[in-house]
This record gives sequence, C-alpha cells and structure tokens, in this order.
Amino acid sequence: MQEFISAFGAKFYSAFIDGNRWQLYLGGIWVTIKLTAFAMLIGCVLGVLVASVRATYDLTEQNRRGFLLRLLNGAAKFYITVIRGTPLVVQLLIIYFVIFSNTRNQMAVAVIAFGVNSGAYVAEMVRGGIMSVDKGQMEAGRSLGLSYGTTMRLIIIPQAVKTILPALGNEFIALLKETSIVTVIGLRDLTKAAMLVGAKTYDYFLPYIAIALIYLLMVIILTWLLGKLERRLRSSER
Amino acid sequence: MSADTIIKVIDVKKHYMQGEIKALDGVSTEIKKGEVVVVIGPSGGGKSTFLRCLNLLEVPTSGQVLFKGTDITSTDTDINTHRQKMGMVFQHFNLFPHKSVIENLTLAPVQLKKCTQEEANKKALYFLDKVGLADRANEYPQRLSGGQKQRVAIVRALCMDPEVMLFDEPTSALDPEMVGEVLEVMRDLAKEGMTMAVVTHEMNFAKEVGTRVLFLDSGKIEEEGTPEEVFNNPKSARLNEFLSKVL
Repeated sequence: MQEFISAFGAKFYSAFIDGNRWQLYLGGIWVTIKLTAFAMLIGCVLGVLVASVRATYDLTEQNRRGFLLRLLNGAAKFYITVIRGTPLVVQLLIIYFVIFSNTRNQMAVAVIAFGVNSGAYVAEMVRGGIMSVDKGQMEAGRSLGLSYGTTMRLIIIPQAVKTILPALGNEFIALLKETSIVTVIGLRDLTKAAMLVGAKTYDYFLPYIAIALIYLLMVIILTWLLGKLERRLRSSER
Repeated sequence: MSADTIIKVIDVKKHYMQGEIKALDGVSTEIKKGEVVVVIGPSGGGKSTFLRCLNLLEVPTSGQVLFKGTDITSTDTDINTHRQKMGMVFQHFNLFPHKSVIENLTLAPVQLKKCTQEEANKKALYFLDKVGLADRANEYPQRLSGGQKQRVAIVRALCMDPEVMLFDEPTSALDPEMVGEVLEVMRDLAKEGMTMAVVTHEMNFAKEVGTRVLFLDSGKIEEEGTPEEVFNNPKSARLNEFLSKVL
C-alpha cells in the first residue's frame, strides 16, 4: 500500500507538478472553453439565419416563392447536406490545410470550422422550432403591421428557441466534447495538453484520466447552466 | 368612390388547388366609416376567407381590395403600413405567450415608432382600464381566462389606432360564460363609432349591433341588407334555411 501511494505520488508529481505542467492543462482548458464559446456563437447566428431562410421557404406558398428565396434555400440545403454528410475531422483538415493553408492562426480556423459545422445542426433544430410555432403568431404580428422579418425576430424565433432548448443543449454539449479533435491541426486544447504531458513523461494514464474528468466537469456545469436558462424562460410564462 | 368608404372590395376571388376549391367566388362590397358589417353564413361558406382578404392575410387569387382608395392587393403597395390601420382580432386570440400583457400591447406601436414606450404604456393602460383589465398589465397570457385574453387581443389592436377593426369569430373559442364580456367590449366599440367587420355566429349581436349584414354562402354574397331585412325578411332560400337552423 505504502509502495502504491508513493508510486502514485511520483506519477502525480510528474503528470501535473513537475515543470509546472498544470499550467499546460489550465491553458488547454482555456483554449477549449474559448473555442467552444465562439463556435457556439457562430453556430447560433449561422443556424438562425439559415433556419430563417429554410423556414421562410417552407412557409411560403409554392407559387409565391421568388427567385432569391429559392436560390437562398438551395444554398442553405447544400450547406446542411455537405456539413452533415462529411466527418467533422475531415472538414477541419480541409479548412485548415486547404482553404486557409496560408494562415497559422489555428484558433481562428478552428472557431470557423466548429462554428460552421454546428450551424448546420442548429439550423435544422431552429427550423423545426419555427415550424412548431402556431401560425396564428405570425398572422397576429403581421396583422399589427410588423414586417415579416420583425415578426420572425421578435415573436417567432424567441418561441422557437424556447421549445428547442433541450435539443440545443445537446448540441452544445456535443460541440464541447468534439472540440477535442482540434488536436489534428495542432491547436493546444485540453486534449493536446494531456498528449504533450504523456509524451514527455511516458505515462499517459493520469493525464488522460484527468482530462476525461475535466471534460465531464465542464459538461456538468454546462448542463446546469442550460437547465437554469430553461427554467428561467419557462417561468416567464407563469 | 365616396370619401367615407374605408374598404372597397371588387370582385375578389380566392381559389385553392388550381381553382378546384373556390373559397371566395367573386365578392364585391364596401365598408363605410362607422359601419358595423356583420358577416354570417354556414361554415365553409367563405366568411373567414373574406375577412382575411381584407387585410391580405389571405392573398386573393383575383380582384382588388381598396383601403381608403389604395389598392392593397397591388404588389407595389407596402401592405405593412396599411395593416397598421386595420386592427384584427382572431378566434384563437393569438396573444404572444412569451410577452406580458403590457408588452403584447406596446410591442407593435413602439417597434413601428408610432410612439415612445412611455406613451405606449400609458395608452395601453388606458384601454386596459376600459375593458376592465388594468390590474392584469404585468400578467402573462397563460394566466388569463379566454375572455380576458380576447379582451387583451382587442386592446392590442386598438393600441395601433386602427381605422377599422376586423373580428374573425372572436367568441367562437370561448366558454359560453365568457362570450358576454367580449361582446360587451365590441358593443362599446361600435357605440363609439368604430368601423367594424365582424364574422360571427352570434345572431343576437348581429341584430343589435350590426348596421349591415352580409350572408356569405359558397363563396358568394347570397344576400345583404340591414339586420331588419336579413333576419325578418330573408329573400333567398339558402338564407331562410340557414336562419331556420341557427335561430
């Protein structure tokens, strides 16, 4: 027992304390959080925009769909199909090594890649949410003289987001975890930190278990925040 | 067209499925300032479609709708500015569930820059008080009864200072004991001279408050006239049959 504890102590020391390695993890956590937050932001904005186009197309009578609407809807569908139909790792590799091959700003590239990816999923969720809002809501807004866009923004989308919040939460949790594949372009996120430490100490056990726990903790916190937001939105109706 | 005509409808048709279904099949009429036009008729006769064509929630297949002389069916017309002057009350209220009563009432006037938030609040509270709901300003629609919701919906339309109010079966979704309170508000509105077009099954309301009654059947105006004429001296067989069922 004594032996085990002292062996563990040594391993712990080399995995976290020696050479201030804990700073690597801390830096990694920060990168992961930053990446997730910005990607979420892009994903939401892109998702809502794309969903607005798709839902507008769906809600417009066939013979009233203008050329621009059909064009935008086609582009939106193409975007969603391509993004959902190809692996995220491959998208990341293409964006970093092909499209932005001149830049070494891995963070910016990763934010774009994850944001664009997330946007496709968010778009389909938001579209579902928009379609589920009673069509009397749009009519009420329009009958007051509000434009289609204003009604969408102030009346429809807030209600749509409320209904899809649980699904949206899932997407954010998945996004947070999936950012770990950003190591393929060399960004030093939390996973990369553990890989670096393991490579230096020839011991992967503690670093990998540790980051698994850290990811778990981050997901638990995110879940808690989302639950809180959901309760707040719901309580406003009572 | 005389100066006091608010809405003029010229041969409006609304067809669905390449003309297989004719919800409206050539309707022409005029609504003058101060009139309370009540639209009655069997379900599926085109009453709601007619009313919804007046503010273009339903776009006519052909024909014109003139609002104070402007053809609002024309694609050059900015429908939003005209809709501001045409209040609409729906069967299912359609209040915004994520907004409080006062927010429901002030959202459009403030968004459309008709007044400041303070002015809008003041006006909303004035109207709320008139319909007896001043104490409900900060409530959310979910907490209101059907009758209260519909009264709020009426106030929401009034807050835009409309020149005409369209009512699409405003009491049909209400529990019987709440019908009265909503009709009361509508009666007061009519008394104050508001121009109204009302689709309803409340024949007593049509008789008492209506200045003119349209009987719509199979997408056409089968008969029209004063409540007196329509209810006491119905001419067409269809209207006779309809009245014998509902009265």
